[in-house]
Amino acid sequence: MPMRCKRCRGPAVMEVRRHNAAFCRDCFLHYVGQQVTRAIAKYRMLGHTDRVLVAVSGGKDSLALWDLLLELGYQADGLYLSLGIGAYSERSKVVCQEFAAARGASLVVHDLAGEHGYTIPEAAGGTGRSSCGVCGLSKRYVFNRAALDGGYDVVCTGHNLDDEAAVLFGNTLRWDTAAMARQFPVLEATRPGLVKKVKPLYRVAERETAAYCVLKGIDYVVEECPLVAGNTQMRHKETLNQMEEAAPGTKHSFLFGYLDRAAELLKVADDADLTECARCGMTTQAPEDPAAEAVCAFCRSKARLTKTLPIVQVASR
Amino acid sequence: MLVTARLRPPDRVVEVADVRRVADLLARLEVLPGAVLVIRDGALLTSQDELRDGDKVEVRFAISGGG
Repeated sequence: MPMRCKRCRGPAVMEVRRHNAAFCRDCFLHYVGQQVTRAIAKYRMLGHTDRVLVAVSGGKDSLALWDLLLELGYQADGLYLSLGIGAYSERSKVVCQEFAAARGASLVVHDLAGEHGYTIPEAAGGTGRSSCGVCGLSKRYVFNRAALDGGYDVVCTGHNLDDEAAVLFGNTLRWDTAAMARQFPVLEATRPGLVKKVKPLYRVAERETAAYCVLKGIDYVVEECPLVAGNTQMRHKETLNQMEEAAPGTKHSFLFGYLDRAAELLKVADDADLTECARCGMTTQAPEDPAAEAVCAFCRSKARLTKTLPIVQVASR
Repeated sequence: MLVTARLRPPDRVVEVADVRRVADLLARLEVLPGAVLVIRDGALLTSQDELRDGDKVEVRFAISGGG
């Protein structure tokens, strides 16, 4: 017996088990739009007069997000950061450029190697962080800085329900209460040098963002980043997906229960004092020793990396 | 009855015999239905949709590790 759309009773193309529902194409697109609209309204993420910068990777989540924000009438430009991961990065950039061109949207392109002197494959092993760790650190830094320099009011990222549940799961396993306290769908710009960050897809599962792209004909990079295989977040997602299969709604309850009932209680755990980085002027945690120089994690990583990379040795001769 | 399934990423093609519905195919491939989309001729299929002899479907993993 074919499934029927919960909303219009037509033939369904997409099942959403955690809501005990299935939808036809149009009703599914309506459902995703509704989830994003609810997320934006609940946390006052965006206004229609805001200049919005959407961090895009060429993957399903960020392109679905950019498409949704444009459809909802927001002034949303894209930001692509080239990470230097060979053909994967090249293809990702082209996909973002084609997406923007097809919609007459504006795409800002930054390049890690050109602007900061290293690529993510070079960074793997050079900083004491994993390649995914350096990648995340670099992206957070560049997104914030690009938004400040470009006069944007808010940065949107494509973190979805699965991403947020997996990060919360990892933080909970370690009882990393400071990280948990900072995990929220909106991070306000609490001081000069910080731009507001929001996650409008936190109510949408990643299987749903992929389906959104297929149904809208959005060409996204299906291949996985070659550096990501077996990373911690993937392992946590696999564990959560096993639990979800046995009990649909597990990820939703875990994340939403945290946001609605526990996040407020953990706010006291985010006790970091913030200051300006002595090297780049961006916001960073104040060192415990007041006499020590405050240098942000990005500048520290970059200094370690560029010391070890051949290009810098040549340049410094 | 034979169905050809292209699993990606990475990109692997397998032939599966005697599967009537999408749910049967995914069970035979030992793939969690909540982790993939199944696509035939550009259209999404639900787990209850019936498969036909000679079908070529894509089983697209929708789980990524970035973020």
